[in-house]
Amino acid sequence: MIEAKELRAGYGDGADILHGVSLNAHAREIVTILGPNGCGKSTLLKTIAGYVIPRAGQVLIDGMDAGHIPIQRKVRHNRVGYVPQTDNVFGTLTVAENLRLGAALLPRAERTARFEELLAAYPALAGKLNRKASALSGGERQVLSLVRALMPRPQILLLDEPSAGLSPLMMHEVFDAIAEVRDKHDLCILMVEQNAFEALGVADRAYVLALGKVALTAPAKDLLKDPAMRQLYLGGEIEAA
Amino acid sequence: MFQFFSDALLRAADLALIAVALSAVYSLIRFPNVALVQYAVVGAFLAISLQSAGLGLVAAAALSTLAVGALAVLFNLAIFERLLKVESSIALIGSLALSMILSAVFLLVYGPTAYRLQLPVLAPIRLMGVRLTTWQLWTLGLSVVVLALFALLLLRTRLGAEMRAVATNAPLAAATGIETRRVTNIVVFLSGMMAAIGGITLALRGSVSIDMGTNLLLPVFAAAILGGLGNALSAIVGAIVIALAETVITNTNLGPLMGEAVWFLPASYAPVASFAILVLFLLFRPRGLFVSEVTRV
Repeated sequence: MIEAKELRAGYGDGADILHGVSLNAHAREIVTILGPNGCGKSTLLKTIAGYVIPRAGQVLIDGMDAGHIPIQRKVRHNRVGYVPQTDNVFGTLTVAENLRLGAALLPRAERTARFEELLAAYPALAGKLNRKASALSGGERQVLSLVRALMPRPQILLLDEPSAGLSPLMMHEVFDAIAEVRDKHDLCILMVEQNAFEALGVADRAYVLALGKVALTAPAKDLLKDPAMRQLYLGGEIEAA
Repeated sequence: MFQFFSDALLRAADLALIAVALSAVYSLIRFPNVALVQYAVVGAFLAISLQSAGLGLVAAAALSTLAVGALAVLFNLAIFERLLKVESSIALIGSLALSMILSAVFLLVYGPTAYRLQLPVLAPIRLMGVRLTTWQLWTLGLSVVVLALFALLLLRTRLGAEMRAVATNAPLAAATGIETRRVTNIVVFLSGMMAAIGGITLALRGSVSIDMGTNLLLPVFAAAILGGLGNALSAIVGAIVIALAETVITNTNLGPLMGEAVWFLPASYAPVASFAILVLFLLFRPRGLFVSEVTRV
């Protein structure tokens, strides 16, 4: 469904941050991208999303080269949803306005039904429709950003550190919500995460980046038991392949 | 007293349209476009020229308004989009340069003479002891209607929600599928139109000369900053405060202070009020009257 082939990317005139990264993710699958700070996780997601244009390599969506398609067109035409790490809601708009902007890409006749459907699925938002998004808690904002991204029925969802800044309890709820999204909506989810063990708990497969390259890739369950993985996150280094 | 308020209201209407336009554009492209006050002068001159060429007043005003909107988009695409890729301060200097170029073009085409729209003479109206001309009432009504329509667009339509979304967080707006460049150019077009209407309303009540833009610059900026740059509708309140201050400063009898029975500051001192308020707000409340966040429309 989504595939990156030998991606090289960086910002402006700066050096490459990604040095030939390849990965893939399929429908009904959560694939998580892990790695230490500065390894290029968020750059990889931004390149796949279309915020960063790759210097070399390809981003394929259903086999079509989409590397040079900007994010807004990917969202409109390739059914991609993207949830950034921070500033992921429109704080000055109400919860309802945030959701309606997400639903605006659907045909007019479907919008209200989709709005009601997702509110029923995520009732925490239903009672706060007229509240400014900036007044929500961190966890509620994450759920709002997730539901906004789900509104136009994406087939691929890109999540950049959905647990960033959340308490352990809220983090748990957000990961449960992500797993539920995969199961209910048959989505392909590509998720960058810093909280490796929690992410591996809901993911099907994982890629571990180091220094802008894929250092490890394996089913999530296997990685949870992998000594190299434990070494990386509980102290120590891992070398890029 | 009513005369005082009617003077202040008329002045606020002069400033509000252009201040709202300035603030709306700022909210999206993050630089104060100085040339916007010159768009008001382009609107006024163009309407006068079109009327002289034989068009009716309404047609000349409408055509001029649309033309200035289109010109604003053209300038945005050709100049400001490119300058903003470097830095917003460069775009500000660019807008100052454009403002001077436009001023030079006015001087070349129209010379230093003041021009007027050809208007039928209508009997003045007395309202609660205040003498108002029919054209004053028309311009006040037009400004109120345009501002109300803009507020409705901003707060009650999908385009308005998109405008607020882009102003709040442009990268997230793009991730929501909003064509941010299209939305920005729509706002630039509407702002150009509002500035042009502001210029035309001034022309409906008096003469237009090449220094109109320079005279408007300070009070319009003061009104926009008072409302909180980027907070478009609050610029209306900013315009009212500036207009009240200007009216107070030029309508207060300072005779007792000067040792005379009657002594008023000349009208040319009105900008002192704008300047004083601008400095005070920049010092003590740089984000404006209503602002708790930086990014909003």
